[in-house]
Amino acid sequence: MQKKKIATVWLGGCSGCHMSLLDIDERILDLVKLADIVKCPIVDGKELPEVDITLVEGSVTSDEHEREILHIRKQSKFVVALGDCAVMTNVTGMRNYFHLQDVIDTAYVNAISNDREGQLPDHPALLRLNDKVVPLQEVIKVDFVIPGCPPSADVIFYVLNEFLNDRVPDLSDVKKLRYG
Amino acid sequence: MTTITIHINEKEYQVAPGKTILEVCRENDIEILTMCHLKGIMDVGACRLCLVEIEGVNRLLSACTTKVGANMIIRTDTERIKRYQRITTELFFAERNHVCSVCVANGKCELQQLGYKVGLDHIRYPFLYPQCEVDSSHPWYVMDHNRCIMCTRCVRVCNEVEGAHNWDVMNRGYQVRVISDFNTPWGESITCTSCGKCLHACPTGAIWPKAIVQGQLNKKPEIIEELMEKRAMKL
Ligand code: SF4
Ligand code: SF4
Ligand code: SF4
Ligand code: FES
Repeated sequence: MQKKKIATVWLGGCSGCHMSLLDIDERILDLVKLADIVKCPIVDGKELPEVDITLVEGSVTSDEHEREILHIRKQSKFVVALGDCAVMTNVTGMRNYFHLQDVIDTAYVNAISNDREGQLPDHPALLRLNDKVVPLQEVIKVDFVIPGCPPSADVIFYVLNEFLNDRVPDLSDVKKLRYG
Repeated sequence: MTTITIHINEKEYQVAPGKTILEVCRENDIEILTMCHLKGIMDVGACRLCLVEIEGVNRLLSACTTKVGANMIIRTDTERIKRYQRITTELFFAERNHVCSVCVANGKCELQQLGYKVGLDHIRYPFLYPQCEVDSSHPWYVMDHNRCIMCTRCVRVCNEVEGAHNWDVMNRGYQVRVISDFNTPWGESITCTSCGKCLHACPTGAIWPKAIVQGQLNKKPEIIEELMEKRAMKL
């Protein structure tokens, strides 16, 4: 059997899902027998090649994320939304209750820790935040979701192992499905 | 005792008339999902989770407010019912702001349990992200409207069991809110006795005690039924 290719990407999230991914520990050796991990934020920042499965942590919060997720969709046979932020925006979506400018002002100018010297970041190389944070499925077609904040290492391993063995994972078992 | 014959999911049952379909199902271990139903207080059919199909009736009826009738043919497990249950659950999540990871009820929440039961892994509807108030004016308890699903268990418990009627309901549609007295801060209520019954009746992280953090929530909705039973025995 030809080895499959996996990528993992980190959009608007806290990296907790990737920490959970690392928590699969030595079981990663079982996975790399079946697949190569060709891109991962912990490894490098190169362009996403064509892959079989991409795990995407985090929600879509900016113009850059939007471009990235569309590119991911094009390059991946299978896109998996990993974690509550990717699936339902979770903590990253909490800014949606407010106006974007108020949120930015609060963070960069008005926060007490800024000592009244805060400035709005404005470099052209920086990403531009979108008005509203959205889950992946509002921008692209998502093939599988793993909720949880973060999803447990056991569930991540289970899902990957099923896919790599050409089986469809089933989270409807109450012990596997979890939010928060 | 006179009984009537009914059929649930193709099985025949002899039951006492006057009971609700929900009561009969629970007595016979037939699973019905509920959220606004709480033993000890009146049923109002608010959440629409307990819907059942009855032969000859076009629309789905709520099991908690529909009484059994002679020769009723009831179904509780059709694909149509399951589809509605899933939609209802998704709308609970989409309507307000449920951020389980930072919620005091995480892991101890009836809404989460419901989600797991209907196999809800994501929400297909756009989130509304309304701005909701958090009322922390009461010395001991918090009311967080972000997590309220409008089951009105708190309203009925406060009214029917405590007799205080601090809570009521204001507005309609997505603007509907539970209010304290005449929409004033809970801490300024002249009716609330601070008994804590609403807190125990609330199925979500909407009402919670200030003295705890995530993981320590221990609601006991069953105390409402116990209390009402004890009262009934004294009469
Ligand atoms: S009330 Fe329940 S479903 Fe809502 S955020 Fe809290 S734990 Fe999650
Ligand atoms: S604490 Fe008791 S009296 Fe006060 S609102 Fe809740 S149920 Fe009503
Ligand atoms: S506060 Fe709790 S008990 Fe009251 S209506 Fe909302 S969810 Fe139901
Ligand atoms: S439990 Fe019957 S409508 Fe809510």
